[in-house]
Amino acid sequence: MTAPALVLEDLAVRFGDAPGLRSISLSVSPGERLVLLGASGAGKTTLLRAVAGLAPLQGGRIIIGGRDVTALPAERRDAVYLHQTPLLFPHLSVFENVAFPLRIRGLAEPNLRATVAELLESVRLDGLAGRRPHTLSGGQKHRAALARAMAARPAVLLLDEPLAALDPSLRDEVRGVLLSLQAHYLPALVIVTHDLEDAAVLGERIGILLGGTLAQLDPPERLFQRPASLAVARFLGIPNLVTGSMAEGHFVSVLGRIPLQDGPTAGPVTAAFGSDALYPAPTGFLRGIVRDVRHGPRGATLRVEIGGLELEATAPVGGMPRLGEELSLALETPRVTVLPGAGDV
Amino acid sequence: MTAGQLSRPVVLAALGVSALAPVGLLLVASVGRDWFFPALWPPTVSLESWQDAFRGGGRMAAALGTSLVLAVTTGLASAAVGWPIGRAMADLRGWPRHFGAAAAFLPVAAPPVAVATGLHLSALIAGVAGTLGGVFLSHLVPAVGYAALYFLGIFTLFDRRIEDEARTLGAPPRTVLWRVTLPMLRRQVGEAFLLGFLVSWAQVATTLVIGGGRVRTLPLEVFAYLQAGQDRYAAAGALLLAIPALLMLGVVRFAVERAEATPL
Repeated sequence: MTAPALVLEDLAVRFGDAPGLRSISLSVSPGERLVLLGASGAGKTTLLRAVAGLAPLQGGRIIIGGRDVTALPAERRDAVYLHQTPLLFPHLSVFENVAFPLRIRGLAEPNLRATVAELLESVRLDGLAGRRPHTLSGGQKHRAALARAMAARPAVLLLDEPLAALDPSLRDEVRGVLLSLQAHYLPALVIVTHDLEDAAVLGERIGILLGGTLAQLDPPERLFQRPASLAVARFLGIPNLVTGSMAEGHFVSVLGRIPLQDGPTAGPVTAAFGSDALYPAPTGFLRGIVRDVRHGPRGATLRVEIGGLELEATAPVGGMPRLGEELSLALETPRVTVLPGAGDV
Repeated sequence: MTAGQLSRPVVLAALGVSALAPVGLLLVASVGRDWFFPALWPPTVSLESWQDAFRGGGRMAAALGTSLVLAVTTGLASAAVGWPIGRAMADLRGWPRHFGAAAAFLPVAAPPVAVATGLHLSALIAGVAGTLGGVFLSHLVPAVGYAALYFLGIFTLFDRRIEDEARTLGAPPRTVLWRVTLPMLRRQVGEAFLLGFLVSWAQVATTLVIGGGRVRTLPLEVFAYLQAGQDRYAAAGALLLAIPALLMLGVVRFAVERAEATPL
């Protein structure tokens, strides 16, 4: 059985005067993409820097490729750290930037040239090998930085907000190159971001950093459908949080008595569900009044008032309802997560 | 044409004249014999002072050699010492940083005679008073102050994350220094060297006090020529002293143009 590319055991890191992160434990397989998602200031970057050996640890162990690297300096950890903005060496050509890790390792010149050529070709920079970084476009700089990182053949590639501050077309370009390089060279990717969409697109598993701990670690489909706590649901921006109580297998709230099997069996609870779980349907058991229609890049959503609550629902594909129109709506109960505790809508 | 557009060539011309006129005057004075007020031009012209400057064994040639040795070594040493001090100060925050900057600024801000007097006692105790080594060390004190303050500014702005990235790519700290940081900051290192060079080049008080008259540099010779009324030699020496400053202007201009063309 292959050893995990990265194991964090009970890690604790501080950042500034903040309490920091504690009890961070996780494991990443070779070739896996793990995204750590957290709000700004949650300590994501500090955690990544600590794994890279660039920031001190308060406690815990870091194992990379089966080797305990906790006490090793950054250059001996086999983990390459990439900043949000590509930091190419300005005094070196694109070729020499990519060759940098190979020269450090003392690779023979013919092998070095062949490896760099292969990497530059894989990121479509083979015609720009002699150029200086300042002459490259933003996307080209990102591709060169990724090629240089892959030249080091790291067990783990640590990426700090790799797609932040990029325009949409550039995001697709960089994301595509990142995924194709990873598929070829198979490092484990650990990506930190505050962007839900980046996390959903890049992560095979997503970890949520909340309140200084790893609040949930799951594949995206489970994370978004089954948040582990009310705090996670709020962080993920799940639009519909309905307070009620559980009694005899039913969720009782202003929405009525809805049969729900999962979650707590009694006491105050909050039902969390996305707009995709609530939609207009002639046979729906909920009645609501349309208060707003919002158009976005992925279609339209409705703000619907039901029992005094304003909930978000998916708009129908056909004719758009009018403001003030009364609708019947269906709620897909398997997509509703019942969480202990009372939350606000 | 606006008043601003009209005045611009006038201002530029005035600046040019004010910069070049003293140099021209020194040049004429260095070759003019028996040139006294109110004559506008020397009655006779001689290259004697310049011949002396470049003649082996001549006073001015020897002093020029000593000045060059001192300035080059001071420039190199001050850049080498100022780099880590400036970098360390840039890492500090709050009062330790202000204290460090003030300590570096002290030998720069204090009157040279005061600095020289303070250093003299140390030089006597160390047994280096009256030696070239002693003078070199005394030049190093203000030069390191300048260099440390210069590198404090550089490292305050320098993006250390590029070094971090080099480390994770497998480069140990020494490799990062030689292959990343130094090549990236070569222009700044060159400027720090020139700064140290010029500080040493212009030293009079410390050379006089620490050297005790046994170490003769070009500024001391110019001073001596002036006192002796040998204006031709003083003018030639003054021009030789001005050359590094003019070179510095050219180097800085070249560096700025390159920096604009190749942003870090």
